[in-house]
Parts: sequence; C-alpha cells; structure tokens
Amino acid sequence: MDTLEARLCDYIAGKLRHGSGVRVENLDRIFGGASRETYRFVLHWKEDEADHSRRLILRRDPPSSLIETERAIEFAAYRAFHGSAVPVPEALWLEEDPQYLEHPFFVMEELSGFEASPQAITQPPYSDHAAKLAQQKWRILGEIAKADPSKLGLEGVMKSVAPGECWQRELARWEGVLDEDELCPQPVIRAAIRWLRRNPPPPAQKISVVHADYRTGNFLYDAEGTIHGILDWEMAHLGDPLEDLAWSINPVWRWARDERCGGLAPREDAIRIWEQSCGLRADPDALRWWEVFSSVKGQGIWVSGAQEFSEGTNQDVILGLSSWIMGNAQDRAALLALGRLPS
Amino acid sequence: MKPDSARLLDVFAVHLMTKVAPALPQAYQQGDVSVLGIMLLAVKEETERAASRRIEENAALRRLFETATPRVQDARLRERLAEAASSADPGLTISELECANIALRDLLIDLHAHVEELDSPEARRLDQDIWHELAQSTERRRLSMGAF
Repeated sequence: MDTLEARLCDYIAGKLRHGSGVRVENLDRIFGGASRETYRFVLHWKEDEADHSRRLILRRDPPSSLIETERAIEFAAYRAFHGSAVPVPEALWLEEDPQYLEHPFFVMEELSGFEASPQAITQPPYSDHAAKLAQQKWRILGEIAKADPSKLGLEGVMKSVAPGECWQRELARWEGVLDEDELCPQPVIRAAIRWLRRNPPPPAQKISVVHADYRTGNFLYDAEGTIHGILDWEMAHLGDPLEDLAWSINPVWRWARDERCGGLAPREDAIRIWEQSCGLRADPDALRWWEVFSSVKGQGIWVSGAQEFSEGTNQDVILGLSSWIMGNAQDRAALLALGRLPS
Repeated sequence: MKPDSARLLDVFAVHLMTKVAPALPQAYQQGDVSVLGIMLLAVKEETERAASRRIEENAALRRLFETATPRVQDARLRERLAEAASSADPGLTISELECANIALRDLLIDLHAHVEELDSPEARRLDQDIWHELAQSTERRRLSMGAF
C-alpha cells in the first residue's frame, strides 16, 4: 500500500546501509505544528543480527504554512547545536526532493515522554517548578546568544548580516509580509513600524544565531522542571541576540495570564538570567526597539496565517484560531512596548 | 422560543471539547476538534458585539477625522478626512459595517503618518487622540480567552 508509513519506510530503508527488515510503526500526527506537519513514529530494524528500535519525528512541509520557512536551515540548526549546552534532538536525514513524501521533509530523534504545552506549564505539577524552568529557559537562550555561528558551521548555511544591519533586514522582511498578506488595515502595527524606522537600535553587540521563535510552547520539559529540548528552529537566522530575548518576553506569551513572561518569570528576572548566561548586556533602549519589533513580526505571522486560511491554501484550524486570538493581543503588546497602552 | 445563538455555540463548544474530542482515536484529531470548540467560544463572544463595536468605532473615527480636518495641511488628505467625517455606515450587516471600518482605518493610518510629521501643540494633541483611539480599538476587539 502506498501509505505515508510505507513510503517513509522505503525512504529510511534506503538510508540505513547496514540495516535490514526496516519497519515504520505507529505513525501519528502531532497536533499544533503550523509551519510543518509533524509526526511521531517508531522505527524498527535489524543490524548485526540484533533488533533495534528508535522513536523518531518526521517534519514534513505542508502545501502551505503559517510562515514560509527554510527546512534546510532548521535541520542545520538542530545538527549544529546537538550535543552542546543547548539541548536539541538529533537530526538524522534531510530530504528536499518531493518524490519521496510529496513534500520536502526531515527526520529527527523524538525526545519522548515530555510536555511542550504552554498551558500545562502554568498548572501543577509543572507550575511548582516555574522558577527552575525560567532559570533554564533564559540560560539556554543565553547559550544560543553566546554561541559562535562560525564554530557551529552555520555561517555558510544562514545568510550573513553586519551588526548594524540586523534590524533593517528583519524589519524589511516582516513589513514585506504585512504588505503582501494583510487582509485589513493594521494601524497599530503601521504606527509601530514608523516608530521603529525613526528610532533605530544600536548595532548588535555580536552576530548570533537567532532561534526566532524562542518561547514557552517551543521547548520540552518534565514534571521536575527540567528542560530537555529546544524545538521549532524553522525561522532561525543570524542576527542580533536581543531579537530572541525580546520575542521570549513578548506579552502575548503570558500563558499564566499574569505579568510573568512565558508564564514563568517576571521580565527583569528573565533579562537578568539571560545577561548572566551570555555575558551580553540588554541595553534598555535597544531591547525596547526589539520588543516593538517582535510585535510587528508577530503580527506578520498571524496576518500571514489568516491570509492562508482565508484563501484556502491552508485551512488548518490552528491558523483560524491564531488569527482570532493572537492578532489583537499582538496589537496590545505593541502598544504596551510603545508606552501607549493605558494601565 | 428557541435557544439563542450564544447558548447554541456554548453548548456545541462544550460538546465538542468534552464529548467528541476525547472519543477520537488520534491525538491530532482530538486537538483539531478541541480547537474547533475553542473557536466556537470565540465566535460566540465576537458575534454578540460584532455590530456594536464596529458602529462605535466607525463613529469614533469619524469624530476624530472631524477634529483633525482643520489641522491637516495636506489638501488632498484634508478633503478625504472631511468626506469620511460626514459619511455614514451603509447598512447594519457586519459585512457593510466592516467595509466602512476598513476604509476608515486605512485613512487613520494616513492621518497618523501625516500628524507625526507635524510639529505643533495641536498636532501633538491630535497624535495623542489617535493613540487613544488605537488603544480603544484593541479593547473593543479583545477576547476574554486571550493570554494578553
């Protein structure tokens, strides 16, 4: 039968040079991936006369997604950080030829038995460890900021950028997304863009790998408050490390519905942990610029998803929901960062 | 007597989330149906205020444009503002109100960009009024289930 399971099995059998009897079992789609279709499965094979099995993840491009992203860069980021102070699953095979599974894809290790939900982290038993999780979350982000992209082998994979040009490149990218995809006027975000252009930030202290979607919901954690894996590197690029810090503390991720960033820690704690971890300074004015920018980028993501949904190119229910729930929250976050939201 | 749409959406949402979703065999399907339930709750909240928030906002924008018109230096923009200030909603369906709202908010962007270039106490006051309206617009659209 020409099922996804069978085709995946054929593909992997071609990759396992010393393996035989390859079987793919329990292929099960994971809910929530808006930029890739994500499936977990168990791979069984024989090698050296012994039976082996491994839990794996398939990340396949959908026909259209919330954001157009580069799978090769995501794959390279997983490979680069594997075995480092930044916990990530092992990336195994990248396939950009659509002949195998209709769309490009990659396969990586599944870090199984952990939680990723941004809502669950605000509830017991996980919420009992909020401070511990916060400490790790922003320490790991500091490790990403501290890492040298050239030593990671990512300089040739991700587009280079000069320290003084990071902000212009990112702002132009997301303004372009809004120009192309917005279904209705965005007066708050357009005002934010004008403010960003009138008040450019200082050059980046260093060029870092920017995860670009580092937030509660994109890492795996356990009930003892340990983070086991940083996921969803599909927007990763080289840039100003403050971009990631600002995104991580954006108010739209206040899952506990209080002041805590990402449902975990007060803003000042998050910044302090990050600064201690990477040895960089979060200059308040520069960070404010990136906080305003993060809402422009966020709105770009929601607007893009809304456009896909409306045009029928991708009608994943999560796109409908995110455009309704997140769009206005993102406007409010922009107003807050600009000092324009009445308390 | 029949249940109103708010009651229907409430019951359907709970039904999807507590009865249909858990009975589905795959986690992906469960998530999908649960989101449909959440979405129905959002639709319920939005449906109740859909007309009133647009009518209120369109009126607020027209008042703002009326105040702004004499302070604007660009002749073409002044003309557009005067025209918009004296306009009326074409009807009371959501699509008619939304169409008017889109045109008014497009004009608000142009007005705001223009006012930011002016340097006078009057312009600063107008700028404050525009920011106030932008903040109000997010209050009108706020959904209770949002994290922020």
